[in-house]
Amino acid sequence: MSPLDWIVLFGTLVLIVAYGLYRSRGSDTVDRFLLAGKTMPWYAMALSIMATQASAVTFISTTGQSYIDGMRFVQFYFGLPIAMVILCATVVPVFHRAKVFTAYEYLEQRFDAKTRALASVLFLCSRGLAAGLTLYAPAIVLSAILGWPDRVTIALMGITVVMYTSLGGVKAVTWSDVQQMIIIFLGLVASLVTVFVLLPKSVSIPDAVYLAGAAGRLNAVTTNFDWNDRFTLWSGLIGGTFLFLSYFGCDQSQVQRYLTGSSIAQSRLSLLFNAIAKIPMQFFVLFIGAMVFVFYLFVQPPILFEQPQLAHIEHTAAFSSLQSRYEKAFGRRKEAATRLIAARHAGDPVAERRQFADYRAAQRDLDAARGEASRLVEANGGERGFSDTNYIFLSFVTRYLPAGLVGLVIAVMFAATMSASAGEINSLATVSMVDLYRRHFRRNASDHHYLMASRWATIFWGAYAVASAGFGHRLGSLIVAVNMLGSLFYGSLLGVFVLAFFFRGVRGTGAFWGMLLGEAFVFGAFLFTGISFLWYNVIGCVVVILTALAVTWFSSRTVAENRLVSGR
Amino acid sequence: MPALREVPDEPPPFLGTWRRVYAGVLLYLAAIIALCYLFSALYTFPLALP
Repeated sequence: MSPLDWIVLFGTLVLIVAYGLYRSRGSDTVDRFLLAGKTMPWYAMALSIMATQASAVTFISTTGQSYIDGMRFVQFYFGLPIAMVILCATVVPVFHRAKVFTAYEYLEQRFDAKTRALASVLFLCSRGLAAGLTLYAPAIVLSAILGWPDRVTIALMGITVVMYTSLGGVKAVTWSDVQQMIIIFLGLVASLVTVFVLLPKSVSIPDAVYLAGAAGRLNAVTTNFDWNDRFTLWSGLIGGTFLFLSYFGCDQSQVQRYLTGSSIAQSRLSLLFNAIAKIPMQFFVLFIGAMVFVFYLFVQPPILFEQPQLAHIEHTAAFSSLQSRYEKAFGRRKEAATRLIAARHAGDPVAERRQFADYRAAQRDLDAARGEASRLVEANGGERGFSDTNYIFLSFVTRYLPAGLVGLVIAVMFAATMSASAGEINSLATVSMVDLYRRHFRRNASDHHYLMASRWATIFWGAYAVASAGFGHRLGSLIVAVNMLGSLFYGSLLGVFVLAFFFRGVRGTGAFWGMLLGEAFVFGAFLFTGISFLWYNVIGCVVVILTALAVTWFSSRTVAENRLVSGR
Repeated sequence: MPALREVPDEPPPFLGTWRRVYAGVLLYLAAIIALCYLFSALYTFPLALP
């Protein structure tokens, strides 16, 4: 990176953190530290909700996903507006009126203490693991740029996040998120414009879109129904709705955002803004990945984007022949792409179809060579299931973006990660303190005591996130890993909240056993079947509801029989 | 069910009622899916046909 990039990077980061801390002055009570005194306007909550979800993973992994697999990942978000409407109509007013710090606090009001405790623990498990992955993302940025070990950068990021989260609470998190989303938007637009500028002069923007489509990279909607296919219209609409209902209705990292609202209307508006803005934003990010793919049609990309792993296999006997195959396939693809554009311009459909076949064949050869290189990494001591998806966009940014813009994009990733991690750590600390410590260990301490407990819980979860981030490299595509981890727990959490809101006859014991069995089914599906993770939410939710209804039916029958026997 | 505080439910700043706002969001979703499908069909499907 050039000196200008370093100035832009550190200047942006200092500005974001300083502004967040400045706006968080007065967070000196538990209510202000955890809920910002319920004073936040809808636009700040809306951008904070978006920023918490759009971590650096959005930049790094989604663009790579699009480069490899096309834009069909956008279907994952089709369930989000449906979920937001359901939540605005049901959950938001109930949480506001129940005057709770956490979503799980409401479960004790509705069921009992053990159901609240179990839901809290499930949340801590899922979000704790995801917080580690969120920290891992920028660590691979720095290791790609500076050659630093992942663990050092993970620790550096974690310490910074813990510092400002433990000092400023949810207000610091929210206002830094607002700044971050503005910078993310600028970074996105600048990245796309730069990709277009870097394309060969003979390739217009419509040509670039055409080439991406011909390579199957613009497949935004796939209508086939396949239980094992992660991203289809149906898994997005049904599975996505369940996932986002769980995420925004039962996950404290999101619930805490809209609980800071000054009214029900403000909280609803913040969620509905996300319902409107999220799909276009993801489409835009995926489109950038598809355009990076087109850029690399004319400039040879490395056979593997993860430089250290590439260096590791370059000395092997098999590599030179593999590299040679890869270069030939690239040459063929470049030629075919050029001829395909020419045929399109000439309006010759026969030639166009012939060049299309050559283009796709060369792409398959190129993919095969990359696949063999990945297996070579595994055979030479690399981790199983090696994937360089998360390095694709970073590799492009650092090699081809102009000075200053590299710093801006890297700053976006850092800021995004810091805010997303801060939101997660803040919510983990809130649940630990409110639902476990204050409920089960120290019930009548002073406000100052709970404020300090919240700060110590923040430090603890920051350390935990840093430790679990060390395993991030084993999980392939980060964005998929984050959502998959969440799906292991969200179905059961959603199920218990559905029971709370819509099944008035169900009591605490039914809800508790329903959650336990729901988790057992979801882990069974994860370990022993190939069912896509989006369906885990549906499975978990349905099992929780059916089990709770069965337990309620049996217990009411037993009570009736006992009464009959005792003659009452 | 737990006792809930009385918190006033304000109307939305546009469209008059929350029901209309929700209907608008769902119509928007249908339009977005249709646009994404057209986008896919326009750039991916024609060439992929045998």
